[in-house]
Amino acid sequence: MLLNFFRSPFSSLRLSLLLAAVPALLFLAGCDREPQGPVLKIGYMNCNNEQETMQRFAPLTRYLSEQAGVRFEAGEFALTHTNSLLYIVLQHNAGLKLVAADKRGHFGARSAGTLIARKDSGIRTLEDIRGKRLVFGPAMAPTGYLAQYDLMLNAGIDPETDLAYYAIPSGSFKHEKVLYGLYFGAFDVAAAPALDLELMAADGKINPDDFVVLAQSPMIPYCTFGSSADLDPAILARVRKALLGLKTQDTVEIDGERVKVLQSAWVEGFEELLDSDYDIIRDMARRTNMPPYQTF
Amino acid sequence: MTFDRFDRFHGLLLLLVAGGLVLLLAVAESGGGRSAAGVDKAMEQDLDYQARVAFVQKLYGPVEDLRRDGQLQQALLKLDELERRYPGEAHGFILRGEILSRMGVLAEAVASYVAALRLNGDYVDARSPLSRQTEIRQLVDDGLRILGGQARSHPENVSLAAAVKNVHYLQSRLAGGCE
Amino acid sequence: MNLRDFHLWIVVAAGAFLGALGVLLAVWGNPENSGICVSCFIENSAGALGFHENPRMQYLRPELIGFVLGAAVCAAGFREFRSRGGSAPLPRLVSGIFLMVGCAVFIGCPIKLFLRFTAGDLTAVAGVLGLVAGVWAGLKGLGGGVHLGSSREEGRGSGFLVPGFFLLLLVLFVARPGFLIFSGRGSAAQHAPWLLGLGGGAVLGALAQRSRFCITGGVRDTLLLGRRSPLLWGLLAFIAAATTLNLATGRFHLGLYGQPGAHLDHLWSFLGMALVGWISVLIGGCPFRQLIKAGEGDADAGLVVVGMFIGGALVQSWGIAATAAGVSLVGKAAVLAGCLFVLGATLLFRERAPA
Repeated sequence: MLLNFFRSPFSSLRLSLLLAAVPALLFLAGCDREPQGPVLKIGYMNCNNEQETMQRFAPLTRYLSEQAGVRFEAGEFALTHTNSLLYIVLQHNAGLKLVAADKRGHFGARSAGTLIARKDSGIRTLEDIRGKRLVFGPAMAPTGYLAQYDLMLNAGIDPETDLAYYAIPSGSFKHEKVLYGLYFGAFDVAAAPALDLELMAADGKINPDDFVVLAQSPMIPYCTFGSSADLDPAILARVRKALLGLKTQDTVEIDGERVKVLQSAWVEGFEELLDSDYDIIRDMARRTNMPPYQTF
Repeated sequence: MTFDRFDRFHGLLLLLVAGGLVLLLAVAESGGGRSAAGVDKAMEQDLDYQARVAFVQKLYGPVEDLRRDGQLQQALLKLDELERRYPGEAHGFILRGEILSRMGVLAEAVASYVAALRLNGDYVDARSPLSRQTEIRQLVDDGLRILGGQARSHPENVSLAAAVKNVHYLQSRLAGGCE
Repeated sequence: MNLRDFHLWIVVAAGAFLGALGVLLAVWGNPENSGICVSCFIENSAGALGFHENPRMQYLRPELIGFVLGAAVCAAGFREFRSRGGSAPLPRLVSGIFLMVGCAVFIGCPIKLFLRFTAGDLTAVAGVLGLVAGVWAGLKGLGGGVHLGSSREEGRGSGFLVPGFFLLLLVLFVARPGFLIFSGRGSAAQHAPWLLGLGGGAVLGALAQRSRFCITGGVRDTLLLGRRSPLLWGLLAFIAAATTLNLATGRFHLGLYGQPGAHLDHLWSFLGMALVGWISVLIGGCPFRQLIKAGEGDADAGLVVVGMFIGGALVQSWGIAATAAGVSLVGKAAVLAGCLFVLGATLLFRERAPA
């Protein structure tokens, strides 16, 4: 019967229509389709400011929705994306589970905190910072505050009593304000994440030859994806697989534009760390009386 | 088979040309044949290589100085600066691997060494002026012990499996073979 | 198996000597597990002649010269030197190129395959399976009527060209003119003393010429004849000798990881060796056997040898050769192109029964 269909006088027209229909159907089948089902929220910690953070992670959210087949939106939260200290706090208080850590910069899925001074300041060693003015990053930043506070305590320097004073910049973009504060002489010493030094030097915002690294903390995990304790394990597995399998050339469509997921998120990839890799931060938090181990 | 005048003429010509060739080579050899030939590829290649090694060592000298002084973070930043001018240079990867290894970032250090060796296998040759055979051997031992141990305890962890695969690559390059 | 068959003992001797020399040459300075590797040697020699620019693979291997000249002298001595050829010259040339592709993707010829295997390199298992599969496919082709034609004797002397070329290489090796490159880096800098390589190669060439020993021939005859095949016993002698010497010299390391000159892309090891096995059956011998036949005056085998030199240059220049990191995209494409070539040749060179 099918053959007779094509033997009619209009067989060439029918054949053309069929040939046109097949790729059209395939095209439609391959089109992005919104996943169905309930909405799950991903809580993204602010890095510099809220608007920038939301824009940065919108493509990644979309990508995870497509790969995991779940409707993800930013908000509170089946999944979280925070720094490693907040991951520990949420894990301690809310049973958050480890999904994967961001990879960015020299150290991959790890970073470190440094204490730096301007080369012309005369400050050469950690001992020299006594009685000086110091600027920290955000108080809950593991490599902008925690690691450096711990470094100083380990060297026998109490930031509460042995410095002239310390401050934390107000408002957004605190990380950059730390380095500019040192650069323009408002402070003598800065608690700068090693990653920030790397990125700002690459952007030409600072010259590494202009400052001296007084001390650097041990390596600690970088920003981390976590999941709530009651997230469906199958969804968790799909999300983890999607993150670990992300490649630099993977793209999603956002607002009519095709964007690279990793590049938009300012991340070079994701790595599956072990929970024991975060013990170093737990030890730092205990030593510095920081959450989740703070005592009053 | 019978040889006619045609065969004898061409046979004689063959002997004459062969003799001329032998004479030419013999005269050239006694009169400094290699320079007369005007080409000594092996020597040229060797000179190019020595020049390259000297250039690379000079270029990355500041990084090595910072590393020796223990200023590892500064060394990494200086390395970044050089990489922007000479992207994909194997020596940069080797130095990065050395620094990261000292900083305790084992998986990333191994990955840097792998990137270096894939570009230039001289770093694994004992006789090369660029040899890092001892450091690579130590890295392999550490990698198998630490990363390998973690991977065995967490067989489902794909990141650890990828890191161990890199260690095995270094191990294979150390073992030698045609490469 | 007739124990009084002198030919059987010559084959066993050739196999044992090949296995022993393969290990000993590595002990004496050749790269690890590559005491004898025809494909690696051809890549090195192509580099020495300036056909490619990989400075780590530029050395004129005297073993190759020994194989061909040893076979030539032995054939001449026993009046078996016959200048012959003329069957499917261009397909044979291209076959030589793809033989090198298959070997380069595996990182070794069939001799090195078994040298690696006898050194405990488990990554060679995929190659062994591939070689057997390829030989089986080739046999199916022969059984189906695929035939490149037979070489015929000709008094024109074309069979002298390849032995003459290798004689020239010997002169060049000794004279060391400036245009020849002997690199001091990488695996090219690893070589046994040249007299040992040349002399051992010549003895092996002579033995191989007398015995008709061939690795893929051994696999082929085993599939066809089973235990009656003398070549099987030669292959077993090879394996026994190589394993014994590897154990005695501390070169036996059982495992998948950390093996010299090996990668973990097992599928491509299988396919590379399958390509080699398949082509070898259709053209009448593995790369080593082609060198020996070329030494005997077989111009068809000589063309395969020329093709192998071209292939040796290409696999290095085009990045086809695999490394410990694995097989490149170009290498994978080249193996598949080789499979297309063999499949095409199978269809084109098949003698079909008239309708």
